[in-house]
Amino acid sequence: MVSSISLSIDSDLDKVSLLARAVRALCEDLLSPEDQDAVELSLVEAINNVIKHGYHGERGKDVQVAVGLQADQVVIEIIDHAPPMPTQVLDKPSEDTFTFDETDIANIPEGGMGLALIRMNMDEVEYHSSESENRLRMIKRIAART
Amino acid sequence: MLSTDLRNNVLVVRVEEKRIDASRAPAFKDEMTRCIEAGQNQLVLDLSRVDFIDSSGLGALVSCLKRLGPRGSLAVAGATGAVSRLFTLTRMDRVFALHPDVDTAVEQLSA
Repeated sequence: MVSSISLSIDSDLDKVSLLARAVRALCEDLLSPEDQDAVELSLVEAINNVIKHGYHGERGKDVQVAVGLQADQVVIEIIDHAPPMPTQVLDKPSEDTFTFDETDIANIPEGGMGLALIRMNMDEVEYHSSESENRLRMIKRIAART
Repeated sequence: MLSTDLRNNVLVVRVEEKRIDASRAPAFKDEMTRCIEAGQNQLVLDLSRVDFIDSSGLGALVSCLKRLGPRGSLAVAGATGAVSRLFTLTRMDRVFALHPDVDTAVEQLSA
């Protein structure tokens, strides 16, 4: 079984939840509720990043999501035409984001958590930029049924 | 998006929407800030009706904690499923006291 679908929204934060709910529904029969949560959060974080940082909150830009449902994995690609994510953001180790000192309230992070959350929630994450587009590819493997 | 109820000098703030995401986080933060600036420093945030929070929502919560400062406390009640897991995953469960329900949280804060 392999099927795929493409969805797209305008770069408007109000529309992200529609897409998230649609993709979650697509994964319903394949993934456990916890894994559906992981996919939904990763998708939302990825699209928020595109809208907030890539397009700087400007509406009227396109955000495309391609969902591939395969026998052993769900593949989600987020495609945008914004300037690419800076390498220093991509290179920052995910574990650094959440190793703050909880007693030092002033330095607890309020942002910059999106990519780290995506990496913690998905099995594979790759980012490719070309002249025409950026593509974030995220894979969630389907747990073997016992 | 919030409703409030004062119990034993503790302000219980219930989130009335199912999602605190990037589109709702600024409104959430504004309404919480108004509660804090009205002089409340013992707050319980009731998340029992919320089924999704993203990092923007979580960041807004951290921002409220900073606004509250050392004089106050902000406890979380009723977080389940994906919401509860987000706190654990980001280690924010060390920052916010998580309680199973509002009654327990109010009891702890007013003790």
